[in-house]
Amino acid sequence: MIFNSEISGEQQHTTSPVVTGGSVIALVYNGGVIVGTDTLCSYGSMAAFKNVKKIAQISKNTIYASSGEFSDFQQVVKELAKIDRSALQYDDGVHPSPKDYGNFLARLSYKKRCKINPLYLQNVIAGFHNGERYLSLVDIYGTYLESNFITTGFASYFCKAIISNYWNENCTLDQAKQVIRECFKVLFCRDCRAHDVIQLAYVDAQGAHIEEPERVETKWDFNGFKSRANEKLHTQ
Amino acid sequence: MLKHLYDTDCVTWSPQGKLFQVEYAMEAVKQGSICLGLKSNENVVLCSLKRQPSELAGYQEKQFKIDDHMAIAIAGLTADARVLCKYMRTECLEYKYTYESHHPVGRLVFKVAEKSQHKTQSGAKRPYGVGLLVAGIDPNGVHLFETCPSGNYYEYKCQAIGSRSQAARTYFESWFHLFEKSTLEQLILHGLSAIKKAIMEDEELNEKNVEVGILGKNLKFTHLNAQELRDYITKLEQFSPNSQIQQE
Repeated sequence: MIFNSEISGEQQHTTSPVVTGGSVIALVYNGGVIVGTDTLCSYGSMAAFKNVKKIAQISKNTIYASSGEFSDFQQVVKELAKIDRSALQYDDGVHPSPKDYGNFLARLSYKKRCKINPLYLQNVIAGFHNGERYLSLVDIYGTYLESNFITTGFASYFCKAIISNYWNENCTLDQAKQVIRECFKVLFCRDCRAHDVIQLAYVDAQGAHIEEPERVETKWDFNGFKSRANEKLHTQ
Repeated sequence: MLKHLYDTDCVTWSPQGKLFQVEYAMEAVKQGSICLGLKSNENVVLCSLKRQPSELAGYQEKQFKIDDHMAIAIAGLTADARVLCKYMRTECLEYKYTYESHHPVGRLVFKVAEKSQHKTQSGAKRPYGVGLLVAGIDPNGVHLFETCPSGNYYEYKCQAIGSRSQAARTYFESWFHLFEKSTLEQLILHGLSAIKKAIMEDEELNEKNVEVGILGKNLKFTHLNAQELRDYITKLEQFSPNSQIQQE
C-alpha cells in the first residue's frame, strides 16, 4: 500500500488507534480452526458501534480477524482480497494458501513498522489447506507466529488459564465453541472494552463458515446486586 | 516474396500477416544445440547436448536452476537466456520472500511470455533469441513448458527444441504414452535415447557433452554428476522402450 501522501512527504504516523476492536480468540480443533471475536468497536472508552462483524472471509479456505484499529482491519481485508482476485488474471487456478496470506501480512506489517507507521493491529489468520489446519498471529511489529491457539488483547491475560484447562488441539467443534464462549463471558466481566455479543467462525475441509452473532450468557441476578450490600450500612 | 521490404523491424507486418523479425528470432532457437524435456506423474527430466566452442574451451552449460522446484534448459542466444534466467530467479525469490512458498510455474512462464511479447511490439527493441524449456513442480502438478521469442508459451508432456530436434520429437511421438507411469530411471533413459537420435554420426554421448537435470515432487532440482551420467549412458545399451511395455 503506497499512498500519495507518503510520496509527497505529508504522511502522518499512526501513534494511537481511534476506533478499536477487542480481543480475538482462535483455537484449533479436530476438524479445523475456529475464531471468535466480539461485535464491538470502541471509540476510546465509548462503546460506539455494537453490531460490527469483525471476521472476514478472505478466500474459500481462509478467514481473518484482528484486534486494534478497525480502519486498518478494513484496509487489510481489501489488500488480502486483492491477492486472491489477482489469481484470476493468470488463468491457472492457483489460489494462495492460508499460509501465503499469513506471510504476506507479516511482510506488509514489518514494512510499515520499519517506516514507523504501523498497521495498528494484532492479526489472526486461520485456514484449512490440504488437510492441514493453519492458525497464525501477525502482530503490530510484523512478528509471525504459527500456533494451535491464539489470543490477542485482554484475552491473553484472562483466558489462557481457561484454554489450558478445558481445550486440547483434538477437541470437537462444540467443545472449542464452549471454551471460546466461556472466555468471552469472563472478558465481558473483566475487560472494560468488551461486549457480550460475540461472533464465531470456523474453517474446515468444506470451507469457511461464519456464524451469526450470539449473546453470551451472563448472570447479573446475584443477591448482592438485587439488594445492595451497602444499603444497610447507610440507613443505620 | 520480397521479404526484405517487410523484415527491417518488429513494427512492420508483411502482407501475409507475418512479423518476419519474430520469425527470424525463432530461427536462432533452431540453431542452438538440442535440449529436451519429458515428464511423468512424479518427475520431470531435462536433457541437453552441450557444445564445445573449441578443444581448448569448456562445454556451454544449458540448464539452470531457477528455484528448488523449477529449472530451465535453453536453446539459442546464451546471453539472452541469462537475462531471462536472472528475471525468473528474481521473481521466484521475491515471491518466496512475500509468501514463503514456491512461485507457481505457469504463472512465471506467463510473466516471461509477457516480457517476450513486449519486445515484439516495439520499434527500438528486438525479440529475445532464446527458447526455454521450463520444468517445474507446483500444487497443480508436474509441468513442462516451452517459451518462444514470439511470446507464446505451451505446456507439453515432452518436447525437444534446438538443432536436429525433429529426430527426438519423432522418438517421443512413438513412446510418450509410456512416460506418465515411468519411473525416474526410465524417464532419464528415454531422454538419453531421444538425444541419441539427434546427434551426428561421428559424435557419441559421454558425461562431458550431455547434461541431465531431474526434478521431482519430493526431489529438488539436481544435475546428474559425471559418474551417474556414465552409468546411465552404459545402461542405455541395454535399454529398450519395448521392455517397459512388457513390464506393464
